[in-house]
Amino acid sequence: MDFELSDEQRLIIQGVRRFIREEIRPLEAGLDPDAYQLQARDRERLVAMVKEMGLYQMDVPVEYGGPGVDAVTRTLIAEELSQHRAGLYAPAYGVFGSGPPAQLYAGTEVQKERYLWPSIRGEKHGFFGLSEPSGGSDPARAIQTRAIRDGDEWVINGRKLWNSGADTADYGVVYVRTDPTKGRQGITAFIVDTDTPGFRVERLVQVLRAHYTTELSFTDMHVPHENILGEEGGGFALANDYLSANRIPYSAACLGVAVYAHEMAVEWAKQRVTFGEPLANRQAIQWMLVDNEIDIRTGRWAALAAADLAERHRPFRFESSMAKLLCTEGAGRVVDRCMQIFGGLGMSKDLPLERWYRELRIRRIGEGPSEVQRIVMARDILNVRSGS
Amino acid sequence: MPIRKPWLEWDDAAPTKGLPGAMGVYELADAEQRVIYIGKAGARSPFGLRGELFRHFSTPERLARENWTHPRMGEPDLPSIAGRARYYRFEVNHMYYSRWVELLTRHQEDRGTLPPANLEDPEPRPRLGRYHWKSEEATSGL
Ligand SMILES: Cc1cc2nc3c(=O)[nH]c(=O)nc-3n(C[C@H](O)[C@H](O)[C@H](O)COP(=O)(O)OP(=O)(O)OC[C@H]3O[C@@H](n4cnc5c(N)ncnc54)[C@H](O)[C@@H]3O)c2cc1C
Repeated sequence: MDFELSDEQRLIIQGVRRFIREEIRPLEAGLDPDAYQLQARDRERLVAMVKEMGLYQMDVPVEYGGPGVDAVTRTLIAEELSQHRAGLYAPAYGVFGSGPPAQLYAGTEVQKERYLWPSIRGEKHGFFGLSEPSGGSDPARAIQTRAIRDGDEWVINGRKLWNSGADTADYGVVYVRTDPTKGRQGITAFIVDTDTPGFRVERLVQVLRAHYTTELSFTDMHVPHENILGEEGGGFALANDYLSANRIPYSAACLGVAVYAHEMAVEWAKQRVTFGEPLANRQAIQWMLVDNEIDIRTGRWAALAAADLAERHRPFRFESSMAKLLCTEGAGRVVDRCMQIFGGLGMSKDLPLERWYRELRIRRIGEGPSEVQRIVMARDILNVRSGS
Repeated sequence: MPIRKPWLEWDDAAPTKGLPGAMGVYELADAEQRVIYIGKAGARSPFGLRGELFRHFSTPERLARENWTHPRMGEPDLPSIAGRARYYRFEVNHMYYSRWVELLTRHQEDRGTLPPANLEDPEPRPRLGRYHWKSEEATSGL
């Protein structure tokens, strides 16, 4: 076991850290405090810089043209990328490349040609369509959207809720019940073009964070059989694998925000004088800073442990759930303490803390709520499989 | 969802204190009640919705008389608004940014374009999405 970063990792991290501090943070001064996109000209310039650094599309596997950065280093980088105002939901404003939805690697050659490659090139964007009004924690039981076979096509009817980015996407990976008698084996993933007749974004759903999400309806939407992603009935397993893997960068992004908030609070505590002494001299404040450090370090170790297992192709579901739980909840506590240390300023939109506070609250729900992470871990401990 | 408030006609003599100083979104319309601008009073708006609306409608004389000295208040308005805006409606909303994007998206989907003054507006806006359907208001030709 080695907790030391390699020289190469250290160099990469330093480069990314400099990039975020010198290129991204200054641009935010000119943006609305709730903005989540850069202007096109800034974006293009920064993408070119990232390509030069050799880190563009680092989540894309090497065989698909990615730069071949291992999972542990990607996790370390993800922690750096979120260290700016919009960083939690828009790390580095996407200039490192957002990659295709990972489920597409399970696609056929035709599907890769139509969706995967254009997504890697940044020409197409996809959304993830699992949750429905009937529930998101337990999709195996909750999914009611139905697909019925009609010759070479499937006819899909139903509704989806909370599907982020569906309004700007070109396609989505949508999880639909194809066999109501089979529980989780009755769920199939379809790739659906958003311009398919019958596809509607019913409304943009406003939430706590700066970026809304969507509610969708599908009415007699005809999708070709060849658009099934993976096996018929294999959708649930596909979604589960995707969610388990995605929990690692999701956790690391929370950590990054916590690190930046903590750094700000440390500086402030040293400067701000009350009752004749800097806040940093008060034990009440010191303990808050210590608790921040504990939340950050435990979260980081959990995220890195999960990434290390993933890199070595060992089971990591328990560890990624643990990382998600520790990082989302820990980062929320860190930001809350930092707001307390800043006093009134911590409440204002002059600082990014209030934005992170709102966004981190969502992180305890999105990509599987905290309770679901505990259910996943409990199943491993008790060695039970639920639902069939 | 549109702003569910009736259009109000700007009354230059009325005190601005009745308008909220909060963050939110607003729409301006011309004499035929066609939307000419969808705006937001964001975190950096010095006087919230009150300041943004007043800035669009008020005359230089009134600005001087009431001593609105903040530089933002004296900024020249976008050509499509200046002298053309007659009606307004607003919504106090802490999530002003995503609500603003929602209103812009709805307008673009319904009319095929943004309101004229938004096309002139240098304020950066994110990429807008699609609903893949038009609202009743648009299809009934209102
Ligand atoms: C901003 C945002 C963006 C999102 N983006 C997407 C997206 O892009 N794609 C997508 O498919 N989904 C998305 N989601 C949906 C998200 O994954 C779900 O909200 C989440 O899975 C919870 O589902 P639910 O809201 O239906 O809550 P429910 O499933 O109804 O659960 C309600 C509460 O009960 C708890 N609970 C459930 N079961 C148990 C139990 N057995 N024991 C104890 N507690 C339990 C849950 O943890 C939760 O707190 C998004 C959600 C949000 C808020």
